[in-house]
Amino acid sequence: MKEHILSVGIDIGTTTTQLVFSRLTLENTASMISIPRVEIIAKEVVFQSAIHFTPLRSQSEIDEHKVRELIEQEYRSAGITPDQVQTGAVIITGEAARKKNAESVLRTLSGLAGEFVVATAGPALEGIIAGKGAGAAQESKKRGATIANLDIGGGTTNIAVFRNGDVIDTACLDIGGRLIRCKDEGGEVAYVADKMRHLTRTMNLVINEGQSLTKALSEKIARRMAGILEEVLGVSPASQELPFMLNDHDLKRDYRIDYVSFSGGVADSINDIRGEADFQYGDLGKFLGKAIADSRIPQQLKILKAVETIRATVVGAGSHTTDISGSTISVSPSALPLKNIPVLKLSAEDEALPVEAWGEAIRKKMQWFNLEGEKQQMALAFKGPDNLGFHEVETLAAGVIKGMEDVLCKDCPLIVVIERDLAKVMGQTLLSQLGFKKDVICIDTIKVENGDYIDIGRELAESNVVPVIVKTLVLNY
Amino acid sequence: MRLKTVLFGVTYEFQDLNDVLAKANEEKSGDRLAGLAAETITEKIAAKEVLSNVTLNDLRNNPAVPYELDEVTRLDQDRVNERIFNEIKGLTVAEFREWLLCYQTSGGDILRVSRGLTSEIVAAVAKLMSNLDLVYAANKITVTAHCNTTIGEPGVLAFRLQPNHTTDDLDGIRISLFEGLSYGSGDAVIGLNPVNDTVDSLSNILKMFQEIKETYQIPTQNCVLGHVTTQMEAVKKGAPADMIFQSIAGSEKGNSAFGLNAAMLSEARDLMLKEGTATGPNVMYFETGQGSELSSDSHHGVDQVTMEARCYGFARLFDPFLVNTVVGFIGPEYLYDSKQVIRAGLEDHFMGKLSSISMGVDACYTNHMKTDQNDIENLAVLLGTAGCSYLITVPQGDDIMLNYQSLGYHEAAALRGLLNKRPIPAFEAWLEKMGIYENGQLSKIAGDASIFIR
Amino acid sequence: MDTKIKRLIAEVLSEMGGAGAACSDESSAPATSDTQPDDLTVENLKEQLLVPDPANRDAYLKAKGTTVSRIGIWRAGPRYLTESLLRFSADHAIAQFAVFHNVSEAFVKEWGLLEIKTKCVDKDQFLTNPDLGRELDEENTELLRKHCPGKARVQIYIADGLSSTAVETNAKDTYLALVQGLKGHGIEVGTPFFMRYARVPAMDKISEILNPEVVVVLIGERPGLATGESMSCYMAYSPKVGMPEANRTVVSNIHRGGTPAVEAGAHIADVVKKMLDQKASGLALKK
Repeated sequence: MKEHILSVGIDIGTTTTQLVFSRLTLENTASMISIPRVEIIAKEVVFQSAIHFTPLRSQSEIDEHKVRELIEQEYRSAGITPDQVQTGAVIITGEAARKKNAESVLRTLSGLAGEFVVATAGPALEGIIAGKGAGAAQESKKRGATIANLDIGGGTTNIAVFRNGDVIDTACLDIGGRLIRCKDEGGEVAYVADKMRHLTRTMNLVINEGQSLTKALSEKIARRMAGILEEVLGVSPASQELPFMLNDHDLKRDYRIDYVSFSGGVADSINDIRGEADFQYGDLGKFLGKAIADSRIPQQLKILKAVETIRATVVGAGSHTTDISGSTISVSPSALPLKNIPVLKLSAEDEALPVEAWGEAIRKKMQWFNLEGEKQQMALAFKGPDNLGFHEVETLAAGVIKGMEDVLCKDCPLIVVIERDLAKVMGQTLLSQLGFKKDVICIDTIKVENGDYIDIGRELAESNVVPVIVKTLVLNY
Repeated sequence: MRLKTVLFGVTYEFQDLNDVLAKANEEKSGDRLAGLAAETITEKIAAKEVLSNVTLNDLRNNPAVPYELDEVTRLDQDRVNERIFNEIKGLTVAEFREWLLCYQTSGGDILRVSRGLTSEIVAAVAKLMSNLDLVYAANKITVTAHCNTTIGEPGVLAFRLQPNHTTDDLDGIRISLFEGLSYGSGDAVIGLNPVNDTVDSLSNILKMFQEIKETYQIPTQNCVLGHVTTQMEAVKKGAPADMIFQSIAGSEKGNSAFGLNAAMLSEARDLMLKEGTATGPNVMYFETGQGSELSSDSHHGVDQVTMEARCYGFARLFDPFLVNTVVGFIGPEYLYDSKQVIRAGLEDHFMGKLSSISMGVDACYTNHMKTDQNDIENLAVLLGTAGCSYLITVPQGDDIMLNYQSLGYHEAAALRGLLNKRPIPAFEAWLEKMGIYENGQLSKIAGDASIFIR
Repeated sequence: MDTKIKRLIAEVLSEMGGAGAACSDESSAPATSDTQPDDLTVENLKEQLLVPDPANRDAYLKAKGTTVSRIGIWRAGPRYLTESLLRFSADHAIAQFAVFHNVSEAFVKEWGLLEIKTKCVDKDQFLTNPDLGRELDEENTELLRKHCPGKARVQIYIADGLSSTAVETNAKDTYLALVQGLKGHGIEVGTPFFMRYARVPAMDKISEILNPEVVVVLIGERPGLATGESMSCYMAYSPKVGMPEANRTVVSNIHRGGTPAVEAGAHIADVVKKMLDQKASGLALKK
């Protein structure tokens, strides 16, 4: 039996705002005589919006009301109402500065994008989502290869490196097509991002608003930007400027990259450039594209064509952010959905302890996490021991309850996320030991890390699984 | 017809021809379970003696399951070439056995005579053959068939690559398939037994097989062994199948337990000729196995060797590309130990060849039988020398989905090398092109499935 | 001359791949008698890649992670490496042991279960005569009647089936989790017992004797090489001798590498609840 869920992806970028609706198909792929194993078997984009320029109030502020109008318009075009949407992600990407009013943008959009739609960001996650939307993750698995996807937008370049389908590295740089913008196609500078000002200064150039850029000068700047990308990929030696242009951390560069793919708005300029670049979009995007095409990157690394370029992030957000839980789980339906729950995961050392000692280990960890002493909502996560007997499950459940009782707020459900297939028996045991007086959400086959945040949707009607979004970083709000 | 004989002064009398056929069998636990087996070894020999004097005409006129009752009997009887039958109907089974074995009788002669045989004649003569007789006679007979490539040529030993997976996981299937190719298996067919017999699941697997075949330009054929109706549905929806598979039985009742009849198989074959991906003309694949009729209570009081022969009589009506017995799959209640499995494997192969079908064997066993891998390696060598068209291989003989053991991918190269056989020529050329074979044997890189991951 | 021979040997060894590598590794001295030798059956086959110089090691290992098939095992000429050959034989031995040994009396006693047996006199008869494995004689029927109160809502019992090992390893954990789960639903269960030499359809007979609403049997599956410990759970709503097989509900593949015993028990509790609610089982049971 198949079940479909409708997912929305909304990408509000430095330059463009887009929306897609994706249909995720779930099916029990286990045979009739096995315990169900529901999986997402297909992801299909069923609607994609036009590519809009992101409405801005100022250089660093998004016009949230105009964004909302735009999204509402696209819902109408798609013939979809917010209550039909079960999951998805709103992502605000681009320069950090642009996110000044991100929180208010998200608040304005809330309710519009369906009940269980989460706002999420952070450069690592943006890069991963774009890489998945670009097809790099899937292709790396298919080819058994290491693929670096560079999502080059107006403000940033988000890099995610995939090996055999898994993310192994990420980085984010302030390299993009619109860090220097012109008033029109003539080349008169209207805006220069701070980091570009710095980068050009190291080239002994001074670029100021109002000044006219020549094509030669633009090419020179674009070549330097492409040079930074060469450096981060390791095809040129790292210069002093690389650390400065990095938004967070560098790539590790301790592995071999088999292929590079490009997504984001600039990707099309890499692929399509004919003859000379110009200021067609009132920025350096086309120059950057040409500079990358002429750089050492395609000379030294094999290039793979991305399946999505300018839409990679929005398709990633719509189709690749939602995961589903294991098929035997234990959830109190009234406690769902849950959003932005901080995850506390036991360390490998904790898990190596005998089950009798887990209660104390959890309690200590919880106290450390909960310095303010205020009771709150949170999720306990662990991998879970292999081959547990029933009495060990009982011991473990008692430990979880004991370890969590000091920190968990009175009316909050007890949330446990396990990697191994154990959630049903653990949930039933927790419920039984709690005298069925507290809500329990116990799910499995989900891998989370300490410091992640997690969203858990309502149980799906047919499949008895819950949609889950794991966020490696959440916007500060 | 004489149903009585004397051995060592003791008189043995049999009820009817079916009784003689059953008791003339070499020991099988399934015949014992059905209450049909000879009580003693001497009774078995007595039955063989009686059978040796029965004429082919008697066998023709006494089908194991009555004509009126059973579609399999009717189709078998009606298919017989009367002119040829008339030439041989006066022979006793003993004389027929000796004719098959004698130097002057060629494989071509046997194929011609085959058109005049009913399944009961085929079974009867097998019962009078020793193991070496079965090997020797079968080796004379060449039956070729063509789907995308030609199987059954002399000097060729082909292998089915069976990349089964516990959950039909496409990645898991793919790596097993690559592994098999890297050992030179897969020229008979790339054929998977699915866990999920659904149209979508079958289609997905077929599409993957097709994609791999096209990407690497592999000259072979594919098949996903769901139920015939599911496969037909998948093909109608555009799934790229080279063949349609079905398990078959030796009686109408047995086939209906499998949810099929002759009309359905004809329809499947017509569909494949119209909408299949293969060149043809042979587009069907059948599996059989001694004991399956008894297990579905559709054996009509007939022994399992005779019922098995009737499967082949039924199969030949649909011009199959492949037919194989899954000889040790069914369990110790039908074939108790290695001795019985080896005997059954040789009988089935011989009877298949004598029925003019493109015959292979899944030499296999389950863990509740008194058999081990050495036994089926023995059987494989015997079958290789008997001119068996193909054998079945899984990774190191361990089928993780069906929970039984068959031959391993490694056996393909070992048996070919040992018995001076080669892969199907087009496939061998492909193996050479891929660098898996070098000068007719495994190259340095053979056995590395990751050459296909790029 | 000397170098020529050396080169020849090196070539042969390199053709042998893994085996050759082991030979040339001077540090791997043979285990002395006072050290504990490695247990070859402990190695996780999914993580073991014996191909000496694969074209794509990472991808090979990753792909191996998707299947328990014995792949990436390399070869000596066209034959298996000794390690794989021995591992296969060891796994076969343990699978055969799972079938051919009897569930120990200690296991039954420790649990405190009543033991009954079918009409089979021994394992051999059980294996060659399936029909006897579904029947009870008068004596065993009486024993059952005396010991187990009839008309329970749910009657659970344990049967050896085709793997004694599976039952010894998993049955108790599954049973305890199942009983807890049923209790959570407010469902009480009858007195459990153990049945020797039993096939699945024996549950119909049990149903006719004890008349529970639902019968649940935890029974050993025919072992494969990778899964000698695999147990199944068959359930039916008020089964009768001769009823269609389609009336049974099955949960299979219960073992450490499949669905863990405790998790299966918790799942089965929900399935049984559904049967009681719908008064149906097998194909008739709706989601």
